Amino acid sequence: MAAWLMALVIGLPWLGAACVWLAGGRGPRAQHTLAVGFSVAAGLASLGLLPFVSSQAAVRIPIGGVFGDLTLVPDGLGVFLAVVAAVIGSLAVLFSVDYMQGEAQLGRYYALVLIFIGAMAGLVLSGSLLFVFLFWEVTALCSYALISFHNDDPKAVAGGIKALIITGLGGVGLLAGALIVYANLGSYEIGDLLKKAPALPPAALGVIAFGFLAAAAAKSAQAPFQTWLPDAMEAPTPVSALIHAATMVNAGVYLLARFYPAFAPVPGWAAAVTIVGLLSALLAACMALVADDLKRVLAYSTVSQLGYMVYAIGVGGVFASQFHLLSHSVFKALLFLGAGAVIHAVGTRDMRRMGGLGRQMPFVRNVFIAGALALAGLPIFNGFWSKELILEAGLAPACCWRGLADGPGWAYAGMLAGAGLTALYTYRMVWMVFYGEAAARHPAPHGHDAPSAMRAALLPLALGALTTWLLAGPFGLMLESSLPYHALHAESTIDVVVQVVETPATWLALAVIAAGLAAWRWRIKNREAAARWAARFRGFARAAANGFGFEWINRRVVGLTQAAASALQTLQTGHLNWNMAGIVGGLVVVLAILAWGA
Amino acid sequence: MTVTTPQIVLVGVLALLGVGLYGLLVIRNLIQIVVALQVAAKAAILALVVAGELSGQINLGQSLAATVIVADTIVAVVGLALAVQVRKRLGTLDVEALSTLKG
Amino acid sequence: MLYMLLVAGAIACAIQAVRAKRLFLSALWLAGLSALTAVILYAVGAREVAVIELSVGAGLVTVLFVFAIGVAGEEALHARAIVPKPLAWALIIASSALLGWMFLPSLNGEAPSAESTFASALWQERGLDVLVQIVLIFAGVLGVLGLLAEARAPAENRAMAKAPLTPAEAGAAPSPSPVRATPEEVHA
Repeated sequence: MAAWLMALVIGLPWLGAACVWLAGGRGPRAQHTLAVGFSVAAGLASLGLLPFVSSQAAVRIPIGGVFGDLTLVPDGLGVFLAVVAAVIGSLAVLFSVDYMQGEAQLGRYYALVLIFIGAMAGLVLSGSLLFVFLFWEVTALCSYALISFHNDDPKAVAGGIKALIITGLGGVGLLAGALIVYANLGSYEIGDLLKKAPALPPAALGVIAFGFLAAAAAKSAQAPFQTWLPDAMEAPTPVSALIHAATMVNAGVYLLARFYPAFAPVPGWAAAVTIVGLLSALLAACMALVADDLKRVLAYSTVSQLGYMVYAIGVGGVFASQFHLLSHSVFKALLFLGAGAVIHAVGTRDMRRMGGLGRQMPFVRNVFIAGALALAGLPIFNGFWSKELILEAGLAPACCWRGLADGPGWAYAGMLAGAGLTALYTYRMVWMVFYGEAAARHPAPHGHDAPSAMRAALLPLALGALTTWLLAGPFGLMLESSLPYHALHAESTIDVVVQVVETPATWLALAVIAAGLAAWRWRIKNREAAARWAARFRGFARAAANGFGFEWINRRVVGLTQAAASALQTLQTGHLNWNMAGIVGGLVVVLAILAWGA
Repeated sequence: MTVTTPQIVLVGVLALLGVGLYGLLVIRNLIQIVVALQVAAKAAILALVVAGELSGQINLGQSLAATVIVADTIVAVVGLALAVQVRKRLGTLDVEALSTLKG
Repeated sequence: MLYMLLVAGAIACAIQAVRAKRLFLSALWLAGLSALTAVILYAVGAREVAVIELSVGAGLVTVLFVFAIGVAGEEALHARAIVPKPLAWALIIASSALLGWMFLPSLNGEAPSAESTFASALWQERGLDVLVQIVLIFAGVLGVLGLLAEARAPAENRAMAKAPLTPAEAGAAPSPSPVRATPEEVHA
């Protein structure tokens, strides 16, 4: 049964993509209907997998030769992420029905979105490293195609190419790790790696561990690879919700969580993961604070929250990181789709031109505030519980801290400050959009409230933001029972709730969050005093607006590559004899390698 | 050490291959490049037959050698036709001049 | 002893073919090389292949070369090579030495006699090869016709079409009438 369901989860979206493409001649209505139908079916199939979670491979297709077997394993981690991908994917598709009303090339759009959902499900359910890499690259390709969907807009195309190159370079780390695993163990199976990791030569294991970390950091837009995510906001907003909030960027966190037991003993790995998470969380929070584009704020917020998840893995809280991943998928998709509704209504992404929209769009305002409260981490909403679990995990790291003498205390302080910053920029975003007045000279035309398909997508997400934390107990149980190498200890929901409520760390965190909220409140009331304060930080604000120098690094890398390519152009002589010399030279190299290896 | 027949022939193969590749590296006239290709092809034919004999699959080696003969005869034929056309249209058979001509 | 002579002769012919200053001589040396290769093949025991090599390599290809040289005309062959000679020598010697070092020491012993005849091996076991060869010949002929057929120079066309075809190709070639292609629009 599990085999069939997994085949459906991966195959239905792909079949739907073909059908939507072929139905192009029948008009947009058919395409909308088909897309929604197939994605909802895939979502239901993924939900149907939940009772069948197990750590044994349910599907094993031998490909033969050096490629190993294609295995699909319905374990807790994989099924959870497949559910997230398929369900939130179907909500994003539902949202697209209204958002993409009247747009051209719907066939291409829906086909790519559906292929993406199927590939993401395949990525997390796959039990063979080679196929993880294959699905990884398929998602990168779909993401590129969707970001550049409006391919007559040079900014969109540039954003797409940037995303493709950065995530593709990270993918090299994944491939290299997979090949080294195969060379040492003779198999691509994830279970084999987890079981035999201590037996690998330390140098090889180190290369694999850091290669995977690079791949995960690039895919999840963590420092130093975070520059592609804000530029990817040129994509249509449902795509942003799907790819950059709910699914693709989770692939990096999934990779780290999946292989944590194998890599945790590698010296320096856990520390590196923690630092990457910490840097991303703080840098992105600062950048979100000064951004004026609504979707950019959400993009930086995604980077920051993913930083929390990566940090959690670094300090050993795998369950906390996955729980936050669940909450984040829900509330971030909610926020993106809500932002999409706003942008669709007023036609601009600039928050300075928005203001007071709360009166025109009460439904969107309400759901958006629900998402914002979850993001900020206020109690009752799911973000609160998961964020507190992460912060507590940071206080009592389960694992290996060689090389950092005073442990993670400073990291914890940084994450705590990040929580305050999160609250601050969230309140700023909500206020600038829905309350107050437009700060710019040309305010945007006020728009209508969300149409019905958008509401149908937003409402379940808002309810989810209120309630998914109740699944903590069963979720933990599912992970514990099907991940034999992770040594997780699940607690029931009540225990988790009591634990979070009683810890002093929680109250400290709540105090910091309250301080963040109060800071913006103060700024609203005392505008001149706040302006004077802000002037003192102008240099820092400018640095944050420029991405803290990472964009400059990107431009330099591109410039260097182009210079090297121009320099190498002299090798393209066009002469037959030189081409032959190249061929014979290559022959000599191959013979030398063969002779040396013989 | 005694020199066996296969070794002699293989030395010949290596020498022919070397001469052919050398020709491909230094010759500038298109037709003579086809000649050099043919020289290298002879090396391949000899190598296949000798390899067939040594591994015991005589007939397989000879069949493959026959295939190679046919294949690079076709290569020579089409290459010569190309050379003739190049000469007619572009006026020269020199590789260096051809690499800068457009058309 | 015989083998050494044959191989030495073949190598000498090859070197001369590559070094010749006139294209015509180059083609003749190539014919000599083909003949010697055919003799070597016969001496090693591959009789049928020797026959094919003699007729095709020494016969057909040589005639084609002579013909092409006649049409294209002799051109003064430049002495200066594009790739510097030392580099060419180095590459060739390196590849030959590596190959020789890998294979020469391990060769010894003669082969057992064949189980089936060459003909049955060719037509039955490698039947697919023969089919592919036929397709290849056909494609080659079509390619040549496409390359050489043009309306601009009718005289040369007729001359090209009457090229002597040996029995190896006669079966697959179409009728000798030239194919008048559409006027070429691209000019040099």
